Amino acid sequence: MKDENRIGTQNLGSLYTNGRVRSRREWRGIVDTAYDFSRWLHNWITMFRVVLVKPRNIKAMFRYRWMASYLAVPMMIDRHTQGLRNEHLRICHEEQDLIVEDVAKLLDKLFRGDRRIGNDREFSSKVVLVDENEMQSVMMGFPTVVPLSREIASTYIPVLLNQRAALHYIDVAQEYGLAGDVCPMPEAEAGVSIDDDAPVLGCCAVQCNTTCDGSLMGNSVISKRLELEDGIPVFQLATPLRHREDDVQEYAAQEIRNAIAFIEEHTGEKWDWTHYFECAKRVNYATKCRLEWLEINRTDYPQVFGSNLALYTETNYMAISGRLKVFEDADRKITALAEKAFKKKRMAANEYRHRAIIWGVQSHYYMDFLVWLLNCWGIVPLTDMLSMVNTRMIAETDTPENREQAIYDIAWLTENMIMRNRTHGGYKVLLDELWEFVEEFNADMVILWEHMSCKALDGMHGMFEEKAREKGIHLVWVSHDLFDPRVISRQGVRDQINSYMRTVMNEEPVDPSLEILNDVESW
Amino acid sequence: MMTLIKKLLSFLLKLVLIAVAGTALLFVVYFFNLDMKLTAAMEPLLTWFYDNKVKRDQHL
Ligand code: SF4
Repeated sequence: MKDENRIGTQNLGSLYTNGRVRSRREWRGIVDTAYDFSRWLHNWITMFRVVLVKPRNIKAMFRYRWMASYLAVPMMIDRHTQGLRNEHLRICHEEQDLIVEDVAKLLDKLFRGDRRIGNDREFSSKVVLVDENEMQSVMMGFPTVVPLSREIASTYIPVLLNQRAALHYIDVAQEYGLAGDVCPMPEAEAGVSIDDDAPVLGCCAVQCNTTCDGSLMGNSVISKRLELEDGIPVFQLATPLRHREDDVQEYAAQEIRNAIAFIEEHTGEKWDWTHYFECAKRVNYATKCRLEWLEINRTDYPQVFGSNLALYTETNYMAISGRLKVFEDADRKITALAEKAFKKKRMAANEYRHRAIIWGVQSHYYMDFLVWLLNCWGIVPLTDMLSMVNTRMIAETDTPENREQAIYDIAWLTENMIMRNRTHGGYKVLLDELWEFVEEFNADMVILWEHMSCKALDGMHGMFEEKAREKGIHLVWVSHDLFDPRVISRQGVRDQINSYMRTVMNEEPVDPSLEILNDVESW
Repeated sequence: MMTLIKKLLSFLLKLVLIAVAGTALLFVVYFFNLDMKLTAAMEPLLTWFYDNKVKRDQHL
């Protein structure tokens, strides 16, 4: 399938340089370039308005090493909008610009309460620290409490912005004896704490046994410093990993009751059912929209896919959990744009050759790989593992029965946090459902991320291959090390696709200028 | 009255010219990625600062 009329989407590789940044921005035709320019301006104004006008935030810029990565915010948006036109460009900006504003507010709040920077004690007394990998659904009934994640600000976002952002912290953690084969995500988070580079604030913290042994190790290092040195009590939310089993649900619900009681005790605030059910309605609306986008992606003209689906779902589902109305508004606008584009049979690239399901834990230092896959080889990333999260509607009207059900709903959402809902929970969620999705989406290809430090997935290698062979599906393994591009570089990631496409598929790239790029030094 | 209108018009014209010139300048910054080239130049200075000027209580 081809669209020959797109302006300026050939030779996208010519914009790359050997240094940190691209030589210039893309020419997308007058209307789309003017639109992109206006959004660029809007984002700079947001960053000035929320962060850069306040002296305390400038002080933080000179205190925390990870803050240097925020210099690259506009470039991150350019990476995700590469090659996009019309509605797809607008969908991407609708999402990315909202995330920029949300993260800017997160930074501002962190530094406001930080004992080293703003030291606003009254504000800090209402802050509850939460993990990076933690569903914030347990905060849906606390309208006046401020949940903040230091790890999102110090590791998760910086690596999206700058591929080398976590290297210093990984090295620090290893200098202090943490093993080198631990997942670099929790390792970097532990490194931030060891390096004394995390803001100190909040009246208490809630950590979750989100994903794996690596994540538990990281939390133990962080909570030791929080509890023993900073005097911040930490609640360990131990959510069951066998989340599809009925017999664990009562235990999971009790953990949620305990977490709520802990937050009430330390913040002095009471759980607010009216607010909870308002948020629950928004959670359901987000689920409904996501299901609609996925339905469109089953057709020949997918609209909200690739990083437009992945990054936004992660943020909205996990970190927002219905708490902010602006995300509901964004869901509505994105759905309207997607429907409009679908009616016009819009394509997001010059040519569609293959329909792919992306599975496994994606490389964080190369989140725009999905954009590259589309532009370079015409492989359409219809959906990805981390976007295939909860599809169940939760109770949303305030009745005595629903108040009881709500606790189970919060537990269910927490159990089904992105990543843990597939990397744990058994054979069915990781393997069987992948092949169901392949059929539903009419895919001819599976791109399987092999995050080499993630033991949860590596053990299943042979079983994936066996099934793909049986079904006649092209299965392409792509190894990476999540936060550490020194182990496998971005070009190393691309080479695994390039060699499969050339040798097995016998194809030439749609845009050959993107096949080999020297972006080792790039942000 | 006429001079007042003339003054107002020339003021408005100047305002429009400044807005157009400002937008054109910003567009040049945007298109040639000058904002990112500037922030990329700032990165080593910040790294030097973190390495040499920030006191940390680094421990497990
Ligand atoms: S990617 Fe794998 S190893 Fe890393 S935190 Fe997630 S589940 Fe754990």
